[in-house]
Amino acid sequence: MELLALGDTGYGDELLFGAWLTIKLALYGFLLALIFGLALAVFSLKGKGPRWWLFRAYASVFTGVPSLLIIFLFYFGGAEIVRGLLSPFGISVKLDVSPFAAGVAALALVYAAYLGDLIRGAILNVPKGQFEACEALSVPRRHLWFRIILPQALRLALPGLVNTWIVLLKDTALVSLAGLNDLIAQAKIAAGSTKEPFMFFTAALVFFVLISSLTLPLVRQIALRLERGQRRAGV
Amino acid sequence: MEFANLDRYPAVAMAGVDKFYGRFQALRGVDLTVERGEIVVICGPSGSGKSTLIRCINALEAHDGGAITVNGVRLGKDRASILDVRREAGMVFQQFNLFPHLTILENCTFAPRSSLKMDKAKAEALALRYLARVQIADQAHKYPAQLSGGQQQRVAIARALCMEPRIMLFDEPTSALDPEMVGEVLRAMEELAADGMTMICVTHEMGFARKVADRCVFMDRGEIVEAGPAEPFFDNPQSERLQGFLAQVLK
Amino acid sequence: MQFDFALAYDNMPALLSGAWMTLLVTFTVMAIGGPLGLLVSFARMSRHRGLALFGAAYVAICRGAPSLILLYLIYNGLAQLDLVREGWLWLLFQHAFFCVVVAFSLNHSGYVVEIMRGGMEAVPAGLIEAAAALGLSPRQVLWKVKLPMAIRYGMKAYQTESLIFMKSTAAVSAVTLTDLTAAANEIFYLTYDPFTPILTAGFIYWVINNAMRFGFEWLDRRLNRHLTLA
Repeated sequence: MELLALGDTGYGDELLFGAWLTIKLALYGFLLALIFGLALAVFSLKGKGPRWWLFRAYASVFTGVPSLLIIFLFYFGGAEIVRGLLSPFGISVKLDVSPFAAGVAALALVYAAYLGDLIRGAILNVPKGQFEACEALSVPRRHLWFRIILPQALRLALPGLVNTWIVLLKDTALVSLAGLNDLIAQAKIAAGSTKEPFMFFTAALVFFVLISSLTLPLVRQIALRLERGQRRAGV
Repeated sequence: MEFANLDRYPAVAMAGVDKFYGRFQALRGVDLTVERGEIVVICGPSGSGKSTLIRCINALEAHDGGAITVNGVRLGKDRASILDVRREAGMVFQQFNLFPHLTILENCTFAPRSSLKMDKAKAEALALRYLARVQIADQAHKYPAQLSGGQQQRVAIARALCMEPRIMLFDEPTSALDPEMVGEVLRAMEELAADGMTMICVTHEMGFARKVADRCVFMDRGEIVEAGPAEPFFDNPQSERLQGFLAQVLK
Repeated sequence: MQFDFALAYDNMPALLSGAWMTLLVTFTVMAIGGPLGLLVSFARMSRHRGLALFGAAYVAICRGAPSLILLYLIYNGLAQLDLVREGWLWLLFQHAFFCVVVAFSLNHSGYVVEIMRGGMEAVPAGLIEAAAALGLSPRQVLWKVKLPMAIRYGMKAYQTESLIFMKSTAAVSAVTLTDLTAAANEIFYLTYDPFTPILTAGFIYWVINNAMRFGFEWLDRRLNRHLTLA
């Protein structure tokens, strides 16, 4: 157990540092995925049009391929991709894509596909009458979306959002294979040095299991407080 | 509310209005004029087009033929005329359509604040005034789900009134209510009528129609079959279809 | 950002053998993890408090941990224990493939437990009562009515989970098993062309993903031929 101690003697602070990096990676990735997924949902809202097909094509690619592959693609080829995207505009950049950046970008693009589907479904489940009431009251479009529809849609999507967060958090483990010094990588290093893999990997396991086990009841509490006297099954 | 020049125009003028859903014709050449302060009740069997008609007035449905003019504003397909018309005519829906995540007060202040750019204090004062008018001001800080159906519908009426429309449209306002709550909503509507509001109501409540309406309109299969003052409408229906309908409904 | 068709063509055998490993891992784990999950689901749903607790803990660990950690634990961690290294189990655990199958089976079975639980709960109570009223013993009700229905209800969720699982097998490249992802990486290390091998591998994954999806849909249609599920 002393090996887990903080400070010079133990690997405690390395592990904590790695855990913090893991959480940061997950948060950035999830937030970007949420914003992009929201945009995709609103973009492809009307079914069966060209926009919807574009979204389906995007989703098919990014959910049909392992996220690890996309992480590697961005890590190994990210610099070239960015250069390729910017060169038509005459901008030439020389940049190194860090494992962290590759991880965030990959996770954001992959999970935006899942979240886009989720949010789109949630928006379509907001009763049509809400739209009609706003039209009858001549509420401006911006307020219709941001004050009335999206708050209700996000409430409907909340369980799915939480599940996706947990899945994304676990997926961050793969970025360690691209060289990121996250919790897994730190555990691996510590395991290698001390020849005690069991202890360190168990510590990493506990971290993830705790977060996923505690998130659900926690979110349920927050959701209950947010419900504010609303019945779950629609008005 | 300015009334200058308004007496020149009827509140709502519909001439030759058609509406198609694909190949199905929901409205056939409907002509209807509603004067200022008039209470008009529209009734008819389901599928007769009465809901479609009232929803065309405030452009929730786009009409395909004919002309609709609301308080002198000709309703076209452009956003400007649609917006103008919606400011003139408020609507109360069968399913209430209150915003579930906002309090009663917020439900009422939402449109004046976001659409009319009214400031919070003024909007709240306005809202409380109209909530009091439908006798529900004491519930202002509750959420819709905490109220009964009848209370929610009264809030919906207050919410529409907060935009201070000159015409009120009612699309089967009591059809989704349990019988014991229908009365409170009808009472609110009667008071509104007594105050001189121009009202067009689609409803099955014949007692209300008989008591309050200036004119009754019977629709069947997309057209107006018979229209006239309330008393003769009920006591002396001219057309066979209306006679049949009344016999069914007033059993 | 060029795609080198010649390179892709030359390396196709390597990629396909990697794909074969991916499929091998996927189906082996499904064959083991599925029944394992079924077994543990009985514990999870049992009325015996100890068993139910064990089941819940099993699910929390197997589902809550990234499969990569389970993999490292089994591959690196178990090797550390003298008990394993000097016993007969070493014959098995020294092979990466065996460790991979154990780790992923644990992970996959965790999901199966919850899917079975959801499936069982979805079986309408009326069906159970009717079966009991017809004189079927509790065991017969379980095996002939509850389980078959539960499996059908859970099939959609199992399909979703299996597709996700297949893609997560890409992690085995971390423990020297040459699957499709590892094969693509090797080509990159040799040629410094990141796009051709990764995009080609991606395409192959995409094909496998959709093939599995069609397979499941066929299975679903076959099972539900005479049923209309609520």
